[in-house]
Amino acid sequence: MKAETVATHRGGMWAWLLQRITAILIIVCLAIHLVLTHIFNIGELDYDNVANRLAHAGVIAVDIILLASGIYHALNGLRMVLMDYWFSPRKRAVALSVVLWVIGLVAMGYGTWALWPWIS
Amino acid sequence: MRGKPRETANVGAGLWKGTGMWAWVLFRASGLILVLYLAAHIVITSMGHFGDTYDDLMEIFHHPVAVVLDLCLVAVVLYHALNGVRIILMDFGVGIQQHKIVFWVCMAIAVICFAFFAYVAIDYLVVGSAGGGG
Repeated sequence: MKAETVATHRGGMWAWLLQRITAILIIVCLAIHLVLTHIFNIGELDYDNVANRLAHAGVIAVDIILLASGIYHALNGLRMVLMDYWFSPRKRAVALSVVLWVIGLVAMGYGTWALWPWIS
Repeated sequence: MRGKPRETANVGAGLWKGTGMWAWVLFRASGLILVLYLAAHIVITSMGHFGDTYDDLMEIFHHPVAVVLDLCLVAVVLYHALNGVRIILMDFGVGIQQHKIVFWVCMAIAVICFAFFAYVAIDYLVVGSAGGGG
């Protein structure tokens, strides 16, 4: 029954779908990230320990997935909220999307730069 | 209601009042908090590039106040995650009529997860104990 779909699709179908996909990625990767940081390595926040942890390819992979999906999910979520208030007219919504994409790509670039010693 | 079919699932389930409304309000608030936190997290964590600066910075997070704030963050994340799971389930048409029960089941799971993190953090809540040294 069509009326039983909960989400509004105002933000676009792909944004809606990606928001769900990134949500699930974040739940899985954030669980790993939090357990590694705060359960297995609690109190070991100094540079050497963190660097050693990041030296594992799996940890870096989880962090990059988290970075990308976190940024997308956060900024798209912010976009959905803002579109409920001042950015509902189409022109403003498009401008907002462009600005958020720029912010997102810069954040992704910055985060990748920060992780680069372990990626390369 | 008027003729046009509505896009939302307010199929008499009361999604936009009471529990459902507050779940939505808190979902938004927690989402916005997490956007801000993510920005701060990326900036502060990336200071790992600056060697010693990183260790000095991380020292801050051993302070009990930081641990309490961390636990608040865990609570916000867990709320957003578990309520998000409920929303995804509803997207698949699961539990729309039972959304209140699903909400409280999700919250119970969140509380259990939180208790786990809180238990681990207890040692770090007292100045000069396990975590103090850094």
